[in-house]
Parts: sequence; C-alpha cells; structure tokens
Amino acid sequence: MFTAAAEGLLKQAREIPEEELGRFVSHVAALLQGRDAGAEAVDCLQRLHLVVAATKYPRTLDGKFVELLQTVLCSPKYPEQVQVLCAAILREMSPCNELILSCDDVQDTKLLSLISSILLAQGDKKAEVSAVAQRVVKVLEGRLPEGQSFRHILPVLSNVISISPVSLAEEQINVVSKKMVDWLRYASTQQGVPQPSGGFFSNPRARQPGPVTEVDGAIATDFFTVLSLAQHYTEDQWLNMQAFSMLRKWLLCYGGEGLSTPNSDDRSEMDGSVISMVSTTSTSSHLLPPKERLREKAFEYCQRLIEQSNRRALKKADGELQKACLIEAVTILDIICKQDSSYVYRTLSSLKILHSRISGDVAFARALLPLAQFFLNHSETAAVDSDAVYKHLFTEIPAQLFHNPSLAFEFIQFCKDNSQLFTDTSSIFRQSFPNLFKFLAWNSPSLISEFVDLLPFLLDAGTAIEIFHLLLDLPCLTAALDIQLSTSCMPSARSTSLSASEKAACDPAVKPATCLEAFRHPLYKSMFQYLLRVEAAPEDSPERLIPLRQLLGSLASSPRVVQCAETVPVLLELFFSVVAEFADKPLINQLVLLVLQRSDQLYETSAFKDDVYRVLSSQLLTLCKLHPALLVELSKELLEFLASVNNIRNKEALFTHMVWAIGEYMSVSYDKRCTVEQINRFFEALEATLFEITQLRPLASIPNYAPRVITVLMTTLTKLASRSQDLIPRVSLFLSKMRMFVQSPAVTSVYCEEDREEILNRATELMNLLKMPSVAQFVFTPPVDVATTAFQRDANESLPFALRIVSRLLEGGAGFMPG
Amino acid sequence: MAAGRGCLRPLRRAPRDGRRAGVAVAMVRAFVLHTLGGPAPPAAAPGPAAAPPPRCRVLYARAYEAPGEGAPARQRLRRKEQLLAVARQVTSQCRLLQAAAGRAASLAPPQLPDEPVSLQAAPGGLFRLRPGDPFSGPATVVWLAVLALGFALVCEPHENLLLAESTLRRLARRLLGALRLLGPGAEALLRAGHAEALLDRLLPHGQLLFLGEAAAQALEREAPAKALR
Repeated sequence: MFTAAAEGLLKQAREIPEEELGRFVSHVAALLQGRDAGAEAVDCLQRLHLVVAATKYPRTLDGKFVELLQTVLCSPKYPEQVQVLCAAILREMSPCNELILSCDDVQDTKLLSLISSILLAQGDKKAEVSAVAQRVVKVLEGRLPEGQSFRHILPVLSNVISISPVSLAEEQINVVSKKMVDWLRYASTQQGVPQPSGGFFSNPRARQPGPVTEVDGAIATDFFTVLSLAQHYTEDQWLNMQAFSMLRKWLLCYGGEGLSTPNSDDRSEMDGSVISMVSTTSTSSHLLPPKERLREKAFEYCQRLIEQSNRRALKKADGELQKACLIEAVTILDIICKQDSSYVYRTLSSLKILHSRISGDVAFARALLPLAQFFLNHSETAAVDSDAVYKHLFTEIPAQLFHNPSLAFEFIQFCKDNSQLFTDTSSIFRQSFPNLFKFLAWNSPSLISEFVDLLPFLLDAGTAIEIFHLLLDLPCLTAALDIQLSTSCMPSARSTSLSASEKAACDPAVKPATCLEAFRHPLYKSMFQYLLRVEAAPEDSPERLIPLRQLLGSLASSPRVVQCAETVPVLLELFFSVVAEFADKPLINQLVLLVLQRSDQLYETSAFKDDVYRVLSSQLLTLCKLHPALLVELSKELLEFLASVNNIRNKEALFTHMVWAIGEYMSVSYDKRCTVEQINRFFEALEATLFEITQLRPLASIPNYAPRVITVLMTTLTKLASRSQDLIPRVSLFLSKMRMFVQSPAVTSVYCEEDREEILNRATELMNLLKMPSVAQFVFTPPVDVATTAFQRDANESLPFALRIVSRLLEGGAGFMPG
Repeated sequence: MAAGRGCLRPLRRAPRDGRRAGVAVAMVRAFVLHTLGGPAPPAAAPGPAAAPPPRCRVLYARAYEAPGEGAPARQRLRRKEQLLAVARQVTSQCRLLQAAAGRAASLAPPQLPDEPVSLQAAPGGLFRLRPGDPFSGPATVVWLAVLALGFALVCEPHENLLLAESTLRRLARRLLGALRLLGPGAEALLRAGHAEALLDRLLPHGQLLFLGEAAAQALEREAPAKALR
C-alpha cells in the first residue's frame, strides 16, 4: 500500500544518522564536482531533498556543501534539472543563515527566477524582497539577451507584489505598466513556430505559422488574449498570458486613483526612451499617463474576453478557462470602474448583456457572483436598477445549485463580503434567507464556520422567529433536499408515462410509502414546497410540517443529515446570543413559547434531540433572566408545561431548567404583578408534580427520574414558600417526608447511595432554612441590586453556599465569618 | 556569485499611498501534496499485525509566501506545521464529504497503475482557514482527493477560485503521472525534481495562470525532466 511505503521512507529520511548523511553529502558533492553531473546526481539530489524536507526541525548540511549547491545553481554548465534541485534543497532549508546568494548582476532570467525563489523564502531579513524587485525591474527595463525570456521573471514580480507591494518605486511602476500595455494588447496574432530544442527564437525558421484561433477553431478576429489558441506560442503571447494572469493584482496594487496623478517622474518617463515592443498602433491613448493607459487596455482586454467567452469551446478544459476568464474579466472591470468612474456606463451596458446571456446557463453560475458584485458596486453611480440581477441570483441559484460545493462556498462568501445588504429588511437579500440555508443544509462541514459569521447579519426582530424554526428544521431540510435531488435526477416522470407506483403516489387517498413518492403526493407536496421555499414566509405556520418531519424521519440516519444535525446546536447558541442583543419583551415571550412548543416537534433522532434540549434549556434561563416578567405573562402556558410528568420523562433538561427559573424569577422583586395567588398557583402545580414522582405506590416500582429533578423541585417549592409564607408548613411537611421516601426499599433499588444522600441533604437544608423565614426570603430572593454582586452572580454556586451558611448558623457552628 | 555579496543596493522606496500597502492581493500561498491517512488496514492485509492507522503525511509541499517573524528555525518549523495543518484539514473535509455522499473512502490504488483516474468525479472542495489558524491571515483552501492522496492549494481569500480549482486539477493529473503516484511503493517521495519542474511551469512562483489546454501542454513539453531520464 502506497501510504505504508511512504510512511516507511519518510521515517527513514527523518531518522537518518548524522554520519551516514555526512557520507552521503560527500558522495553528492563528488558527483556534482565530477565531470558529468548526470542522472545519478539528479537521483542523489532528490534523495537529499527528501532528507531535508522530511523533518520539520532544522537539517544542517555542511557549510561547504551549501556553498557548492549555490555554485552549481549559478553555473550555466549544469543541466537545468540539477539546478532546479539545488534551488529546491536551498529553499527547503530556508530561512538559512549560510546563504551567500545574490540576484544582483544575474542576467539569465531562468536563473534569476530560481535565485529569487530562494531569496524570497528568507523572510526579508536582509531586504531580499526589495533586492529581487529591483533586479527584476532592472532586467525588464533592459534589452533581453538572445535566448532569454521575460516570462521567467514576470511571476517573480507578481510574487514580490504579493509579499510587499511597496517594493516598487513610482517610476518602476510606470515602466512595468507600459510593458503590461504592450504585452496585453499587442501580442502577435500569428502562431509560434515549433522549437526543435530549448530557447526561444534560437532557430527562427522561415515557415508560415498561421494565425491563432478562437476556442471554437475560428480564426482570431481581434488581438491575442489568453483565450486565443495556437499549436505553438510566441514569446510575446506567453507574456500576454502572464500579464493577464497578474493584471488584477497589479491594478489593485498600483492602479489606484491617488497614484495615477502624473507627477514629474511620470512625465519624464513619458518622454523617455522606453521602447514599446510592438508599437503597432498610434492612438491618442499613447499620450495618457502609463497607469491610465494600462487601465484603458485592460478594459479592452476584458471586453474582448467577455466576447470570446460566448464561443463554444472545442475542448472541455478551454470551456473551463472561458468561465475562469469571465470571472476574472468582470472582477477586473469592477476594479477599473472603482478607480475611474468614467468607465462605469460603458461597462454596465455590456455586463447587462452578459448577464442576460449567461443567467440561464447553470454552467456559468459562478460568474454571476462577480457580476452581481459589479452591479452592487456601480448601479447606484449609474442610476441603474439591478434588482432583477440580485433576485435571479438569490432565488434561482441556491435552489438549483445548493449541491455544488464550490458555488455554495463562494455564494456564502459573497454574502459575507456584502453583509451590509442584509440590514435592509425589505431587500431581496434579506428575504431570501431560507434559500441560503439550503447551502448550509447540504454542505454543512465546509460551511458551518462561514454561517457562524453570516447568521448575525440575517437576524433581526422580523426574521428571528422564522430562522429559529429553520434552524430546528435544518436536518429536515437536508433530507428534503436529498429527495428533491433524487427526484430531479430520476428519468423525468413528467415526460414519460407514470409508473404504477407513481400513479399511486398521486392519489390523495393512498398514503405514500416512500419519501420519493411523498414528494409528488398531493398531501405532502405543499409541505415540501414550504420547507424548500426560496423566500421568507413569516406568515406561514411551521406547524404544518409535523407530518413531513415524521415522514423524513426515515432519512435520519443518512450521513449528510447527521452531519447537518450536528451543526444545529452551535447555530442555536449563536442564534440566542445574537437575539438577546435586540429582542424586546414580546419577542422573548414568543421565543419562550416556541421553545416549549417546538420541544415536542423536533426531527426524530435521539442525539439531535438531546443536543437541542441541552441548548434550549440553557437558553431558556437566559431569556428568563433577560425578561423575568415573562413567567407571569406566560403563566398559563408554563403551568401547562409543568403539569405534564411526560415532560420530565422526555425533556428532563428543559423541565428542570424551567422549574429552576420559576424558583429564581417568580418573585415580586422582578415583577409587581407577581401576586401571592400567582405564586400559589405555581406552587400547587409543582407540588403535585413532585408528589407524583415521589409517591410510593405499593407493589409498583417507582420510575427512575434524575435526582436533580427532585432536588430542583424541592428547592423551587421552598423558594416559592419563602415568598408566600402560608405555604411554609406545607412544604416543610413535604420535605420531612423525604427521609421516608429515600429509605423505602423501592427507592433504594432505583437510586444509588450517593443520590439518596444528596436528596436527603437538600431536603434537610431546605427545612432548616425555612425555620428562619426572613433569612430564607433574603437568601432566596435577594433584592435585584444584590443579585448583581459577586455573591449572587453565579446562580449555580450561590444557593448551595447560602444553604451551607444557614445550616452552620442553625448548628451553632463557631468561628463563622460571613464572606 | 560571491562578487554579489554585500552588493545589495539601498532600497528605493517610493512615497507610500496608505492604501497600497494594505491591499489584499490574490496569490497562491502554498501547494501541498499529501496522503489522506485512512482507516486501519484490514486484518487480512499483509504486513505487521496491528499496525496503527496511517496518518496523513505531507509528501511534497511548496510555500510561496514569505515566512513570518522569528528565528530561522522557528520560521521553518511554523511553515512546516502550517502545511501539515492544511493537510489534516483537507483529510477531515474529505472524509466528511465522502461520508455525506455515502461513499466509504476508497483508499486502495486501482488494479492497474496505468488505469486512468477520473478527476472530474474526484471529491474536492473549498474551505476557509480563519485568521490565526494556521496562517496569520485568512486563507481559502482548494482541495482535491484522488484515491489516498490529497492535493491542496492555499489561496488568498479573493483569489479566482475557479481558476485555482482547474489549475489544481491540472497539477494533480500531471503529478499523478510524473511522480508515479499510482504505482506501488513510494517513488513519489524521490521525484521532487519532477514536482518542482511541473510547479515551476504551471504555477510559477505561486501565480495562477490562465492557460488553455494547448498552452499547458506546450509548457509541459519544456519541462527538463525528460532530458535526463
């Protein structure tokens, strides 16, 4: 197996003993210094490269040998492959202190490229980046010796710009800008001639090469671009390809408004002696400053690419290149228009045409993103309405292409880059959030982190409720998309006659047997449509999805659905933390009700439900803390929820947290409407529940509830009693019965010793506390301002602490110092 | 060469436009070729019993961005770890993608080493690296998995990703052949020269090139590898 073999070889390379490496290095040195550094030298250098590359720790080679590598690299008598390997080894060792290489005075462009790659890997300690930049520009300025080519050093320049755009001075920028114009606009439209052996134009033979062609095979109608094809390319055609490849970067770095003002340097350059390689045209644009001229030529180039992308490519790879070129061209046009708004009108009209040409073709979908970006950036300047563009992008594309992972990634990236769009509540962008969730539902592992960034921009008072439902239904959405995709992949049932099972599927009286059938079934169709909606539907009731959720349960174990379900808790937590920042009281009330309601209506997979309950219960507390009055306002619904013992069984976490919140916030200090009657009502409901679960029935084994439910119920009852002191005898009596409860044989068989002790201790502590009602009231219901002090801040810590204090007070513990 | 020592000319720095230094410019920061690790070998597989599941290993990598701050050894260590981190993330993304598609990762090489591998159907995708993890700035990773191998380009966030994807496919296809990645054994590790030559042509200094198929083939014909072999 390849992996195992690689593993072995890597280990060997990593663990090679010093002396063995020393011997090997001497051997390589001898080979390199020998008469003919041939195949064996190459083999050895590759082996040495592995030894250096395999470890992440420094691998020191003999200083003399490192020097030899540099000598070999710079010596023209060695084969190119040997030089390439020497450079690779030196780069692998980088940053490297023993380097004596310099790019100054290097004339050979291939060598300059190799040396630059090593120098640029050094980390700019000795201003290597600038040195390389200066040398490259110097060579570009000069005359090229026979057999040399600029195309080996143009990518070096591109790399230098990426690492440090400030490495070029203004006049250098102008020189290169002029060169770029020539390369871009005036490359030969005749094909190159095949070269029998390396080097360009080394052996120009008198043969008619023929004109370059378009991707569809037609003879090129205009100037050469990256979309022009030839059997063999000329030097200036290669430069054309490279110049376009780095054009965007160049314009971004040096095309800006502030830099294009001609200064004295510019003028001297304009009058100067930089000779254009191919000065075939003489237009007034020659008089423009270099940057503006480059902008103009870049504009023409991009326009030509857009026109060329309309041709039907003969080769698949060329078809792909057309799309990549289209994206690049539109992006560059965007930059040009940003730098000079006089281009906006011309560009806008051609891009409108482009949009209408490609919007119907899903193969071009990814080009729609930079197009939309262009319209977003410039429609306003030109007072053009581009809503149709955005609407098409946000409604059609996600719904059709949610399963294209690259598009999904770029689409969400686009949304993030333009997050300000989502703040306008009426906008198309905002309305289409259900569509955006399709990308997440289908591609959750690669998009979850993007969505974490995006979700806050989608949320506001108007969308929160719908997004809450969407998040809880996200695994259902994945399942529904799966079905949608399967049905669209099936041989179209619409065009051919319906099969028997499909006929059955359309009969409303027959329940569909499979999800696929249900997709077309009249009963389920509208549910699918709702779940797969492209726009927000705030008025619609998500209740109607209940049957569909059950139906889709059959897909719950599908790996994609599972992956999606795993992302929901993260997003839910984020949801609540964002909503907490803007939610008003009615919205909080609504959310609490939804939490209770939706806890019964979740997609049926146990891991998903447990995760969701965990998040919802902790968020329920946060909401109660934000707006404690909700307990009074929603008392009817809460009482209903608390009265059902089933809720303990199925949703213990949610139930326990709700009970705890009632004990904590059901107090007149949080809401004046919290009357004694209110407290009594809650007390009675909880008392009944506690009675129910701790009742000892003869001959029946007691159900095993978490001891936490019992202790939280006891504590909450005590808290309520401390606020309505007529209840104290009742709760005290109840608590006193707990000793009997934990000692009964039925209980000892269900709860472990530790749990029973915990229940009993808590009951005893609470009883003790109730013996001093005023202390109890203070401990359980501190004034709101006290509640913010450190003593009370940690809700989980403060109560046990208070209980311990009271117990020790009652026991007359000596030496107690209140903290 | 020695004559060049200490002859670095003083910097000629132009007056700065504040915006110029801060522009996020597109580039490829690194290329990584690595194994995808994989499940423990089946019990019936030959070799030492109870071998641990293979981990993902970088077979070949090339970084194009300048190293960060710190002592040379530290810089190198950081770069190595960054590239390994990319390989690991690609591995996990690939597993998740294959799991979602209901395909068990098929890690066995095809029966015949020369059997053409369809790269169109190969799992691949894009994901983002957050600033600071593992690179100082944000980055987008374009990846492709062929059998037990991962290929990845680490790009600046605003790179032309469609071009990056097709460049990566082209590189992968060529590397599979040039490094004999589908053959038995680990010859690929000893063919760094071929990888260098291919990258120097198809991704020179990390510059993505707009190349038609004919141009890409012409570039390959120039590769010096064949001269010596």
